[in-house]
Amino acid sequence: MLAFIIRRVLQSVVVLLVVGLVAFSLFRFVGDPVDNLLGQERTIEDIDRVRSELGLDQPFPVQYFRFLQGVAQGNFGVSFRQGRPVADILAERAPATLELAAVSALFAIVLGITLGVYTAIRRDGWLSNFIMTSSLIGVSLPTFLIGILLIYVFAVELGWLPSFGRGETVRIGWWSTGLLTESGLKAIILPAITLGLYQMTLIMRLVRAEMLEVLRSDYVKFARARGLSQRAVYFRHALKNTLVPVITITGLQLGSIIAFAIITETVFQWPGVGLLFINSIQFVDIPVMASYLMLISVMFVVINLIVDLLYFAIDPRLSASRGGGH
Amino acid sequence: MNKLTIALASAIALGATTAQAETFKWAAQTDPQTMDPHAVNSAPVLGFLNNVYEGLVRRGKDMSVEPALAESWEPLGGDGWRFNLRRGVTFHDGAAFTAEDVMFSYERASSEAADTASWFAPVSEVTVVDDFTIDFMTNAPNPIFPGSIANFMIMDKGWAEANGVELPAKDAENFATLNANGTAAFRLAERQPGLMTVLEPFEGWWGEVEHNITRAEFTPVQNSATAVAALLSGEVDMINPVPVQDAGRVAERDGVDVITGIEARVIMFGFAHQAETIKYADDAGQPNPFRDVRVRQAVAHAINVDAILQTIMRGAAEPASQLVSPAMRGYTPALAERPAHDPDAARALLAEAGYPDGFSFGLKCTNDRYLNDESVCQAAVSMLAQIGLRAELDAMPVRTYWPELREDNFDMYLLGWSPGTFDAEHPIRFLAATPNEEQRLGSWNFGDFSNPRVDELLPMIQSEIDDAARQAMLDEVAQILQGEQAYVPLYVQPLIWGVRDGVELTQRPDNFFILRWVTINE
Repeated sequence: MLAFIIRRVLQSVVVLLVVGLVAFSLFRFVGDPVDNLLGQERTIEDIDRVRSELGLDQPFPVQYFRFLQGVAQGNFGVSFRQGRPVADILAERAPATLELAAVSALFAIVLGITLGVYTAIRRDGWLSNFIMTSSLIGVSLPTFLIGILLIYVFAVELGWLPSFGRGETVRIGWWSTGLLTESGLKAIILPAITLGLYQMTLIMRLVRAEMLEVLRSDYVKFARARGLSQRAVYFRHALKNTLVPVITITGLQLGSIIAFAIITETVFQWPGVGLLFINSIQFVDIPVMASYLMLISVMFVVINLIVDLLYFAIDPRLSASRGGGH
Repeated sequence: MNKLTIALASAIALGATTAQAETFKWAAQTDPQTMDPHAVNSAPVLGFLNNVYEGLVRRGKDMSVEPALAESWEPLGGDGWRFNLRRGVTFHDGAAFTAEDVMFSYERASSEAADTASWFAPVSEVTVVDDFTIDFMTNAPNPIFPGSIANFMIMDKGWAEANGVELPAKDAENFATLNANGTAAFRLAERQPGLMTVLEPFEGWWGEVEHNITRAEFTPVQNSATAVAALLSGEVDMINPVPVQDAGRVAERDGVDVITGIEARVIMFGFAHQAETIKYADDAGQPNPFRDVRVRQAVAHAINVDAILQTIMRGAAEPASQLVSPAMRGYTPALAERPAHDPDAARALLAEAGYPDGFSFGLKCTNDRYLNDESVCQAAVSMLAQIGLRAELDAMPVRTYWPELREDNFDMYLLGWSPGTFDAEHPIRFLAATPNEEQRLGSWNFGDFSNPRVDELLPMIQSEIDDAARQAMLDEVAQILQGEQAYVPLYVQPLIWGVRDGVELTQRPDNFFILRWVTINE
């Protein structure tokens, strides 16, 4: 077990290093930050000076190595755009993204499971058919379109909810939360739905399929034969057995909720790390882009590692020699 | 600092003021990246900080230079300017304003660490005469110097020293990145980079208050559709800009209005004047036809600017004939006509130049820098095709565009220019003068246009005190540039702001949003 973990961790480190290398090799094609840093009245001399100050005149492996050196000392560098330490900026922005991700994951899980169970039980009801059909929208419409539609309906036409931002936030230590104020709660509704809709649909369809499978199995028939109530059959026996794959999928999806919050954050001007990343691409803010990409890959690597370990724990057939994972 | 207390206090303040009409909320695409007035020389920063800091002089609603921290100024002999400072001015923290603060700010803003240093390139020496008099000596007579430092903002020496911000932060943050202490009508109440910046009126301001704002909140909203939604739903009182394609729809809505004006920025096409050969498309390697003035004139005649403005700009922009707009000082009214749209004349010019069947070449364009820039280029490509010029369009984001142009990777290119000094001399220095690194000339003249008479006139214009003589020389340069068709000016870019009904404000051609000109009627 320990050997397996160590091997996976080492593999993960290699993955991270490769991600960083690829990222740095691509930054040249993103553009040149120097023009954004200098005003209209810059000279070619200024451009060369700033390029060498920032180390941009070095080949990318050197830039990458310097970045890694900094990271090893806990220093993610200084944002070109804001002139502030990247670590501070990320710490400032992370709560917004994590809260949004948590709320949309909650939304996706609760609603996904409820609707999944309902549509499985009332397989041919008109409401089930309606839910199943409309869930196709969640899968097929692009996120930004859903976001803009929601803004148009609920903010512009009905005026119930804010169209952008996070509302008022309250600071608890270094964490800023929008979940404790009325405007903050109102503000999170639309972005959370936008971000979680796809996951909700996915979970719903998964639960429904699993549930239908389980309801056909023998032990459910026996449970019914024993005269258990419908509720006990559906929720204590059937649902419990459908949750294993659901948990796996949800865990993996959590990573993508955080990583793909970029689009939702841009549409709703949600002040999280995704919006920060978009801004930093436009400005060619290399330290911010690099740190963001590294953090996201760390997150994915960690989630995958945990999932692998869970498999390992669940399935004894997976021996360390076969590696496991997927 | 107790952050929780601040958050609670601001939450209470928010709750208390949202009911009042005088809270003004506005949104723009870019967040000012710093609160330090000397750290970067960019329009979002300088425009925002004009509400917090003040210069010796400032620009009025019509861009004219007017007194601010200096009550008056006069030329000294010919090689400098004396500024008589306003008395009784205090900074937001209560400190008194004196010539020492100007001296300190000059040293700070002209230091190596400051991006504003180039404003002071003509300055040879600054001397404090007394507490309220300061002299700026220049290397040569400089008639436009006071106007050229309208964005040079004065910081309190004592405050800067107490907080260790004697120099702008170059590669780390410092106190002045997030805090401000100016003399202007508004003080910085709250700063959350990228989220929200709050200004409140400064009770001790020296000027006469025209606005009725008690609190102003700025939020950057990057996605323009979201900004429009925020305006329509009444969450913000003003947005800048409204996308051209949404302007009509916004104007039709009840409760909101669209304010259109003319920006100082002229959009134009430039050429490779010196390159031996064409670099792109089928004719790559062939001799460069753009070296011939007739070919450049043919381009000018081929482009139907009126059609571009009608279809792509929805009538919001105005045609341009020169490198500056008519609102700028030194504009030449006699050359207000741009070459007529005349494909036949254009074909004749091409035939005369030896290209009866046209040729192909590469056109470089931005796709995120100017309003609808890529569409303008696409329209131009089809117009050029009508006279046989087959342009291969390459549109790219601005972050890769300038490096391409610096590498001379173009045959023809799109450029927008907004003169920082609001004077016709500015584009001559940057776009028309023969590039010369040492003298800091022609640094944006990517196509290497070169004309000895223009180079000769430029220093004379820069040091001519007499307005009539100066204008005569500016007229001559404009005449040469138009005759040589050094560039093909297309139009002056519009400013399109969205405003809630009942808000009155002033749109300045430099796209600066000045809060003290805002009144809310309700």
